[in-house]
Formats: sequence, structure tokens, C-alpha cells
Amino acid sequence: MTRTDTLADVLDAAGLAGRGGAAFSTATKVRAARASHAELIVNACDGEIGAAKDGWVVEHHLSELVHGATLLAAGRRRGVLFAAHRGSRTAQLLSAAGLDVLEAPPRYVSSEESALVSLAGGGLARPMTKRVPVVTGGRDSRGARIRPTLVLNAETVWRVAQIAERGAAWFRSYGTPTEPGPRLVSVSGYVATPGVLETQAGVPIRSLLDAAGGRHPGAPAVLVGGLGGAFLSPDEAGRLQWSRESLATVGAAVGPGVLTVLDPWTCPLDVVGQLLRYAAGESAGQCGPCMFGLPAVAREWDDVVLRPSRAGEDRVRRRVELLPDRGACRFPDGVGRFTASALRVFGAHLSLHAGGACGYPSRRSESRAAVG
Amino acid sequence: MNEALWYASRAAGIASIVLLTAVVVLGTVVAGRRRPHDDSATVAAATHRWLSLATLAFIGAHVATAVGETYVSIDLVSAVVPFTSSYATLWVGLGTLAVDLLVAVTVTSLLRHRIAERTWRAVHWATYALWGFAVVHGVALGTAAEPLLRWTTALCGVVGLGAVLWRVNVTTHDRERRRAVAQQEWS
Repeated sequence: MTRTDTLADVLDAAGLAGRGGAAFSTATKVRAARASHAELIVNACDGEIGAAKDGWVVEHHLSELVHGATLLAAGRRRGVLFAAHRGSRTAQLLSAAGLDVLEAPPRYVSSEESALVSLAGGGLARPMTKRVPVVTGGRDSRGARIRPTLVLNAETVWRVAQIAERGAAWFRSYGTPTEPGPRLVSVSGYVATPGVLETQAGVPIRSLLDAAGGRHPGAPAVLVGGLGGAFLSPDEAGRLQWSRESLATVGAAVGPGVLTVLDPWTCPLDVVGQLLRYAAGESAGQCGPCMFGLPAVAREWDDVVLRPSRAGEDRVRRRVELLPDRGACRFPDGVGRFTASALRVFGAHLSLHAGGACGYPSRRSESRAAVG
Repeated sequence: MNEALWYASRAAGIASIVLLTAVVVLGTVVAGRRRPHDDSATVAAATHRWLSLATLAFIGAHVATAVGETYVSIDLVSAVVPFTSSYATLWVGLGTLAVDLLVAVTVTSLLRHRIAERTWRAVHWATYALWGFAVVHGVALGTAAEPLLRWTTALCGVVGLGAVLWRVNVTTHDRERRRAVAQQEWS
């Protein structure tokens, strides 16, 4: 048995799942990478809005991160690439440590797995259609061979080093049986002390917000998972737990571990509108549901906020249903989920708009600033 | 007999260029950005394919009769290897080159399901070149005594060129948006 196979077995025993958002079994990916002699890219882009944990790992646990990457890349000829947004502090820290940095443009979809592989292969940082998992290679839509590449989130790689060092039992002493292990959560927006928290699955979301100094009492909602995530009403944020099952009851997911408390003084419908316009501008212009669907959703959202009506809401809902499972990446799926949850949580507030009463002091704010 | 072969070769040649032009025009239609998306798409694609096979028959007849007749000496070698004919080396050679390319295009199309899409596509682009060679070949060797033949070929050239220009210049909402996004920072 080779060293990496042993590593995969330990990861299996630990039950480590990817921390980039998809929560896929890391052991399975590592085995596939071994079988196809895949290269390694450590994704430290923090591509989701409000995400900061990859940068936190680089800043505070760089030697363990590099150790994890070395374990995963054992026996491979080529160096490991560390991906970070160009010009970011994370990229500077990685460069300063003498690591091979893959500088991705600071675009939402550019830190997606296959976009990084495309960039590493000399192409553009745009997602590729995946007929087979990127870890096994395959061919792109033009028929060119894709180099098999294992892309793992920085936190995942850090956990690999920890598990190799301390064992699977240590890892499983955190979290729940279905979601074991310590995990990071980035808390941003209207809390007293935004930052990255070390936590585990199963804890109350309220405790996470409290650990960040507590959310502002007037915050209209908490966003879980950024632009690819979902909103929680203040009540839900108060009673739900940080776990897959608990969040699934309201259509949300742990995702890349991001909590954002919304601005108490800005109409949340405007915040959603700003984020949707941002999303429409972030399309890589490759797939119909994304390049045309997202601008359409943003437009229809603005329409329904300006002139609230049941028909307008239904139009947004129908549009959102057309987005999933049709793109090269999950960007349109995520924005669809985000929009549907906005309708769910802010539906009542939309009715107030219909009566001409919003109640928030500010109906306008700058893009992205509203969610930190 | 020899005279019959000569006329047959002329006739097959002119039929070939007309059919080949029709195939190229249909090709620009089915491959173009504003291609049909309803039932007519199926009709256009099928006509493109089957008409191309019909064209092969006429080109085969044109080559066979050109080799067979003895007014001018074109042997089997120069029917396959370009620019080896002692008669009108350049113009006959262009025709031979066109046929060779056409063989490559046909073979890759028949094997399309077994080869990479981009290999097929790369070879298929050669159609524009071979069509151009064929038109020049036809105009240059068109019998002077019968201007109708030469004019027909020239007309084919104009029609085909128009189709190519249409393909190059046609634009759609989709294409414009892709182009605009691709100009943003992506690397």
C-alpha cells in the first residue's frame, strides 16, 4: 500500500468532506487523484461573498497547510499550486512564503474548480463543462485534453494535515457523526467583530453570531453561504443549528461556511437587487441560463420590488426554476437558490412595499458594501 | 469514344462545381451563428450531408473521365498527386489538390463519431480552401469555346463567396454577449 492510499484510508475513517462548499468526500477525491496521477491545486481564493477562512488558514496555519499539500502531492513530479485572487493579501502571504501562486482574477466564478484548472493550463479562468470529474481529467468542450487535477479548498488541505498528525478519532471528536471535524466559519456584515471562527457542526447559529460580538438586533436577515446560499429570517437564525440537516429545513446549506448579517438600515430587497446585478455581471458568458438568465432575474427582481405583485413574484419564481443543472458550473444554480430564498424570507416585506410602506431608512446603498 | 469522354468530363466537372457550391452554401447555413433551429435545421443538415455524397459521384466521374480521355495527358499519378500533370500543371494541380482535401474531409466526416470533434472541425475547415481551388480550377480550365461553362463556374464563385461573407459577418445577441464578456479580465 502506498503512502497516499494510507492517507486516503485515514481521511475516510475521519469522514473529511470538502470545505469549499460541495462537501464531497475528500478520501474519494484523493483516491481518484492517485489513480489518475492528478496535479494539486490548493484553492485559497475565498471566492464566495463574505468568505475569509482560506485567507485565515494561510495567515495562521501556513506551515500545516503546506504540510497537508505535501502529503497529498506525495510522489508527484510537479509542484503544488496555491490559488488566490490576484492582488489579495492571501496571494501576498503565499508569495512571501516562496510558494507557487496561481493568481486568479478576482471574479466570482474564477475560483471554481474547473476555472482554476483552465487557468493553470494556460487558459482563461472560466468554468469548463465537466463530462467527467476534473480530478480524472477528460476533455474540454473543444476536445482538448484537461490535465487531471485535484482541487481542494485550503481549509480541507489544512484538515488533511491535522488528521495525518492527530488521527481520525481526534477529528471525529468534533462535530456530529454525519458532519465530523472542526470547521471554520467566516462571520461578516453587521456583527460587532467580524472574522473567522473555529467551530464545529451542530452548534446553534446564534452562538456563532454571539461569538462574533452578536448580530445587530435590527438586522432583517442572516445570509448563509453568500451569493450561492440562502437567507435566514431573524427567527430562523435564532433557532437553527450549524448543520446540514438543520439548515436544509429552510433550504439552506453549510456551503463554504459563510454567515453574513444584513444591514439593519437598508431595505433587504435593495440588497438582494444589488447582489443580483453583481451576479449578472459575473457571468463568464458561456452558458445561456447564466449569461441571459441572471440578467433577466436581476431585471425581474428590480421590477417586482418597484411594482410588487403576485404575478411579478411568480415571474421571478418561474425564471429561477430555469437556472439549475444547465451550466458548466453551479453559479446559476446558486443564484437561483439565493433568489428563491430571498422571496421566501422577504415575501412579507414585499407585501409592505405593495402598500407603499418600506420602513427602512435607506432605500439605497452601495453595491456589496451592504453585506460587508 | 474519346470525344464522349471529353464531353463527359466537362459535364461532370460543371455539375461538380455547382453541387459543391450548393453543399458549401448549405454548410455555411447549418454552421452559421444564425442557423435554423426548427425542422428546417434537420432538412438543411441532411441535405448538406446527402448532397455532398452526390457531389462525390460527379467528382469521381469527372476525375475518371479526365484520366480516361486522351486529348490532354492526365495520368493516374497526376490525378492523385497535385502539380504533376504535364498539361496545365498549376490548374490541373489545383483540381487534384481539391480532390485530395475532399477525400480527407469525407473520411473524417464518415468517422466523425470515432474522432475528436475538433479534429473533424479542423479538417472540415479545409472545405473552404478546396472549394476555392475547385472554382479557380474550373474558371482556368473552362473551355473557351463555350463561355457558359466558365460563367457558370464564376457564378458559383460569387454565390459561395457571398455565403462565406454572410457566415463571417452575421451576428446574434448570443455572440455579442459572449464577445463582450470574453473581453473582461479572465486570466
